[in-house]
Amino acid sequence: MRIGVFVCHCGSNIGGTVDVPGVAEVARAYPDVVFSSDTMYACSEPGQAAIVDAIKEHALDGVVVASCTPRMHEPTFRRTVERAGLNRYMFEMANIREHVSWIGKDREANSNKAAELVRMAVEKLRLNAPLYPKSFDVTKRVLVIGGGVAGIQAALDCADGGIEVVLVERESTIGGKMAKLDKTFPTVDCSSCILGPKMVDVSQHPNIRLYAHAEVEKISGYVGNFKVDVRRKATYVDWELCTGCGLCMEKCPSKKSPDAFNEHVGVTTSINIPFPQAIPKKAIIDPTSCRQFVKGKCGVCAKVCPTGAIRYDMEDQVVTEDVGAIITATGYDLFDYTKYAEYGGGRYPDVITSLQYERLLSASGPTGGHVKRPSDGKEPKTVVFIQCVGSRDRSVDRPYCSGFCCMYTAKQAVLTKDHIPDSRSYVFYMDIRANGKMYEEFTRRAMEEYGVQYVRGRVSMIVPQGDTYLVRGVDTLLGEQVEVPADLVVLAVGAESSHGAPQLAEKLRISYDNYGFFMESHCKLRPVETNTAGVYLAGACQGPKDIPSSVGQGSAAAAKVLGLFSRGRLESDPQISQVDVRRCVGCGKCITTCPYGAIEWMELRGEMKARVIETVCQGCGICTVTCPQGAIQLQHFTDNQILAEVNALCLS
Amino acid sequence: MMSFARYIARGELARALDDMARGRVTYAPRREGDAVVFRPRAEGEEPLLARATVPPKGVIFPQSERLFAFIREKDPNDPGRTTVRLDSTVDIKPALIFGGRPCDARGFHIFDRVYLNGPHRDPYYAARREATVVVTLACTKAGSTCFCHWTGCGPADTTGSDILLTPVGSGNDGGFVAVAVTERGAAVLEQANLPEADAARADAAQAVHAATRAALGAQSPAPDLSATPTRLLERFGDNDFWRDMSDKCLSCGACTYLCPTCYCFNITDENDGGDGMRGRRLRSWDNCMSSLFTREASGHNPRMGKALRLRNRVGHKFSYYPQLHEGVVSCNGCGRCITGCPVSVDIREMVVRATEANEETPNA
Amino acid sequence: MPVLKGKELRVVGFLCNWCSYGGADTAGVGRFSQPTDLRIIRVPCSGRVDPMFVVKALLGGADGVLVSGCHPRDCHYSQGNFYARRRLETLKTFLPALGIDPDRFQYTWVSASEGQRWKNVVSSFVEKVHQLGHAPRIEEAAPYLPLAEKGDTPRAPLRPPLRPLSYPAAGTLAASLEQLREKIRAALPELDCVIGWQQGFDALHATPLFMRKPEDVDKLTWGPLNVHNLATYLPQFKNRKVGVVVKGCDSRSVIELLQEKLVEPDNVRVFGMACEGVVDMTRVQKTLDAGNADGAMCADTAPSSVGVEGDNLSIEGEAPARLRLADVVAEKCRTCDTPVPLLGDVVEGNASAPAGPAPDAPPSPPSLDALDSMTPEQRRGFWRAQMDRCLRCYACRNACPMCVCRDHCIAESRDPHWTTQEGNIREKLQFQVIHALHLAGRCTECGECQRACPVNIPVLALKQWMNRSVRTLFDYRAGVDVNAVPPLLAFAVEEKNIKEHGL
Repeated sequence: MRIGVFVCHCGSNIGGTVDVPGVAEVARAYPDVVFSSDTMYACSEPGQAAIVDAIKEHALDGVVVASCTPRMHEPTFRRTVERAGLNRYMFEMANIREHVSWIGKDREANSNKAAELVRMAVEKLRLNAPLYPKSFDVTKRVLVIGGGVAGIQAALDCADGGIEVVLVERESTIGGKMAKLDKTFPTVDCSSCILGPKMVDVSQHPNIRLYAHAEVEKISGYVGNFKVDVRRKATYVDWELCTGCGLCMEKCPSKKSPDAFNEHVGVTTSINIPFPQAIPKKAIIDPTSCRQFVKGKCGVCAKVCPTGAIRYDMEDQVVTEDVGAIITATGYDLFDYTKYAEYGGGRYPDVITSLQYERLLSASGPTGGHVKRPSDGKEPKTVVFIQCVGSRDRSVDRPYCSGFCCMYTAKQAVLTKDHIPDSRSYVFYMDIRANGKMYEEFTRRAMEEYGVQYVRGRVSMIVPQGDTYLVRGVDTLLGEQVEVPADLVVLAVGAESSHGAPQLAEKLRISYDNYGFFMESHCKLRPVETNTAGVYLAGACQGPKDIPSSVGQGSAAAAKVLGLFSRGRLESDPQISQVDVRRCVGCGKCITTCPYGAIEWMELRGEMKARVIETVCQGCGICTVTCPQGAIQLQHFTDNQILAEVNALCLS
Repeated sequence: MMSFARYIARGELARALDDMARGRVTYAPRREGDAVVFRPRAEGEEPLLARATVPPKGVIFPQSERLFAFIREKDPNDPGRTTVRLDSTVDIKPALIFGGRPCDARGFHIFDRVYLNGPHRDPYYAARREATVVVTLACTKAGSTCFCHWTGCGPADTTGSDILLTPVGSGNDGGFVAVAVTERGAAVLEQANLPEADAARADAAQAVHAATRAALGAQSPAPDLSATPTRLLERFGDNDFWRDMSDKCLSCGACTYLCPTCYCFNITDENDGGDGMRGRRLRSWDNCMSSLFTREASGHNPRMGKALRLRNRVGHKFSYYPQLHEGVVSCNGCGRCITGCPVSVDIREMVVRATEANEETPNA
Repeated sequence: MPVLKGKELRVVGFLCNWCSYGGADTAGVGRFSQPTDLRIIRVPCSGRVDPMFVVKALLGGADGVLVSGCHPRDCHYSQGNFYARRRLETLKTFLPALGIDPDRFQYTWVSASEGQRWKNVVSSFVEKVHQLGHAPRIEEAAPYLPLAEKGDTPRAPLRPPLRPLSYPAAGTLAASLEQLREKIRAALPELDCVIGWQQGFDALHATPLFMRKPEDVDKLTWGPLNVHNLATYLPQFKNRKVGVVVKGCDSRSVIELLQEKLVEPDNVRVFGMACEGVVDMTRVQKTLDAGNADGAMCADTAPSSVGVEGDNLSIEGEAPARLRLADVVAEKCRTCDTPVPLLGDVVEGNASAPAGPAPDAPPSPPSLDALDSMTPEQRRGFWRAQMDRCLRCYACRNACPMCVCRDHCIAESRDPHWTTQEGNIREKLQFQVIHALHLAGRCTECGECQRACPVNIPVLALKQWMNRSVRTLFDYRAGVDVNAVPPLLAFAVEEKNIKEHGL
């Protein structure tokens, strides 16, 4: 081989504590090195030009640049050597800045270490081989998981962009959390008035196929070519026939089904359409309370249904969809406030969650928009709001801020005044976090125009007193204990990851954090990408988010998908595993351990061997370590390449 | 030469060996764990007389040896120009092997025909062989896997030895009759300043030889193997026969590495660490029982399967080698391949069956 | 290129590209000063770090090796560090068997954002390595052959077997054997062959028998001389129907092969009987040779016949002898708890009952006890002394029922090039480490590796050590459940028995 070594000063970043010309000099004596020089800024235009020139002048077939971290400039220099006609993988970097010059001041030790790192890079490069990406077709369809506002936005943007969308929603209607809200901050406009039209668009868009009351069961494949099994759970109503007329609900004799849409404020009928604007507006039977299922006789709905849509014998159905990309927008769930014993742990009927309160405020809610205490239906005159219930609290393992509770609490306090003009509202808070556009102004208005009493401090206990409550807490600004009598207490419960999120992450092969929120690829620069190619994030599944952020991310994820699909074919990274069929004994251990299902069996002259599905392999190398014969080797990180580095250091 | 006989009393052996070995490294059997191997012997050390698990061939033909070092040197003005310098200095010290048996010593003769007296003289082998005196111990017992008398060797065979020691007498009266086989052996024996072996002792030695030969014959009468070379060739394509013979073979190299006559090797180059500009060429034992032995660069292997490999091992020893070397069988009947085999593959059985079985097949 | 004398030690790091390499970068960006000893090798994932890289470095002269990956659950490849954790922890518990201080090897998790943590990890690890100093080299250790191994000294008494090993009366045994033969004869027509034992080159040695014709079945023997584990032959019969006769212990190898799908259940028929122990031929030979000054290793006069009478081995011939089975059985038989084959057509399925109540923990085999009792320095000396005579014949590997790579073993390949042909201790020991690591969670301790060794190197102890590690870490025992997944081919998100190493 003819190797060129370029040792970068990086101004004084490296040159300050490393003898750069000295390292270049030492490198000249390394095997196969025919050219070695120092350079002021290797990544600069003249620096790159010098590399290109040297490749041509000295007929180099491999290049080592000793400079900063390869995580920074490996792509840069790969393009450089490619410009000079080399394969991009005939290049290695030695990190002598982050790993040498910046972490020690001993010039002798640094120079020696830099020279060794160059030596390792040379030894590895000597075993590098040109690698070539493969291109493959893309299925230009996208799966959107979750039909909340983020998912709706992503689905609509993709569909408007001209690609087919498969939208899967766990509940029987799309809309998510936003559909349950009465009004939205800071404009206090009607939630269903702004979300409703979007939901209708989803149902009417020719490019969107909606599976409501369905869940993603299995995902295989890879970017451009995913295969997704969707389980359509039995609704016991043939939705092809159901017109959403609601006659069944009127006649249903079983009225004790838990009303999930209304956050369990009251009960509903066993056959049910969650709310008037539901999309799809179709009935669904709750088999846990339906008399036909529980007692085996009733059949009222079947008798009254004008289209004969009732199917008591319906079973789950699994459909398979081919898609090229996946947007996950599975949202969040509410913290279980019953963990707080001091707030009654769920025993006090008039201590409710903010979302329950939202349903009480809503004109389409169980109380028709009249605020009534769940216990006795009386109108509360004093309402106490407690913030940070399940947020910013290490004792319940929720150290993070849920972000939107300050704002919706202010909104709810304002609405309380609108609904009950003679009421008084108190808000116990830790800090007010109102960092969005017009947010701070809104909380100010709540305090100043609406007279909401903000008390900075935590509530230590809620004590029932007759049919009301005494809220005990501390006002840290006054530095004294306070007690507020309350007719109704609203807990601003925080957000936590949607139930089942970790399981979904495993199906998607994406990471999630300690709380079950999905991990983005880079916290700043790749906020909607994941580390699995072709899988994107939108909305609160990545972390608590308010509506504008969720919608923004929905559009961002859609833009990523549209960008991905704008290319006719995709290129696969050639740094993947490869099987030497002559060495493979067909034990299948690699197939067992591959996290991507990227290795499959194949028959070769009557013997079973392993084969890597090139587009699925992500290049982790788990298989290479698993294979006892070393028959499956991760390209660019083969055993021999890593051994060359080990030997360069350890054999003497 | 045979008239030159000396007597070493049992108690004098260590001293006599010290004298014989003056200026030489002595290799003698030593027990290591549950095996007996040849190891450098310290002066005055009482030698172990047990037959070694591993023959002493490694003293002259090491398990792995550096043939030469290669050093790449760069032109300091033009690092693209590299020259390679070879350093083939080999450090070979005069040596003496004590305590090998006649079958071990005859192994060197099999080697000599290939590496010393054949068309190509192997300088590494030659240098060690010529620097090494072989002092052999005649056998007094017939081990259950011994069949030296089948192969032209025998319990007192002197082929390949410089000196043959025969144990005579027993207990305190016991000792060794030492006979020089070569001029070099005579010179070495002279160094020990030993009394001449009297006629009675010389007769006793002859009697020991005869008794052991008789015991061997009684244990397994030597079959007529004169037709074996051709019979094995006739058997070459009989795949069923070789399958039956090799069914239990595990394809390991124990038999070949324990064999005093197996002389095959492999050559590999290895880089040294350090500056990456140095390396060495190694010669190491190789064995025809390994699939890698004949695997070609293309991946094709003409001896795919253990049957073909075992066929080569038996064929080489009892047919191909004798045909090139005046009928000399390249097996000394030491039986180590049988005792050392994890599944007791028995070369005697294979040779006999290959020879006999053909007779059963009438010439149609 | 050497490390700086007097200042630095040789410390090698393997860092995953996504988290730890980034963490090291972050530490650099933050100008967190660190010891200069560490040299970092970048790999895509900690799951790419073959434990053998670590061994290669440590045997090759590294004073310390550090592996770092993404935090559990945070792997870029979602599972790589889970596999890495199992592999590397297994290695860490294994290193002391070679006399290598496990503190010289450490693995941990550092994310891309944890620059400060990276600095602390490097600093504390390098400091630890400096405390330990230069790593002693195995090839430079003073040879150590403990008393029991020295030639002339009789071996230390072995642990008595858990069960009173005793074969049934000759008549009963013959009847059972005939029953077994009958079963085999009946099955033979539909099988390529049935593998059993017959008498070998003398009365003391059995040898594998490949039965193809009904008359071959007459040669089948049963008894304490049937030392071979015939399961070793099964994988080569791929796609053909074959029968095999097993002892209890051998059946575990069959289970392991079935589990790894190296043998198809439809293609193998298993026959067997309860076993009362097989001999350790080296022990028998030693006992027989004890009175023979000249003798050794070369079986002297062949016995005319060898029989088994209850708990005795009776040897007839020129030098008749009666040996107690309890004195000469193989090490595995002393702690055997599976005398009856766990699968197949079993004739006479009753073995002698254990002498006492079953022990809480599996008793540790004597060779392992011996290795345990040594200091690290002695262990290095022990392996140095033992491996010196290794011929590199690979009988240990080829006799191993779980060594299924055979012709493709990485010990002899150039690509990958793990070992050289050099005849030194390091290369020889390296193969033994490869063997032990590849057997982790797969080895049934049949002992064939050691039995096959023509120069009697006690290599089984390394596997026993590994098995104990696997048992402790994963509560796993190989060869009892066809449907189990070997621990190194699986992982748990929360590992019950693996603690985070404080770094």
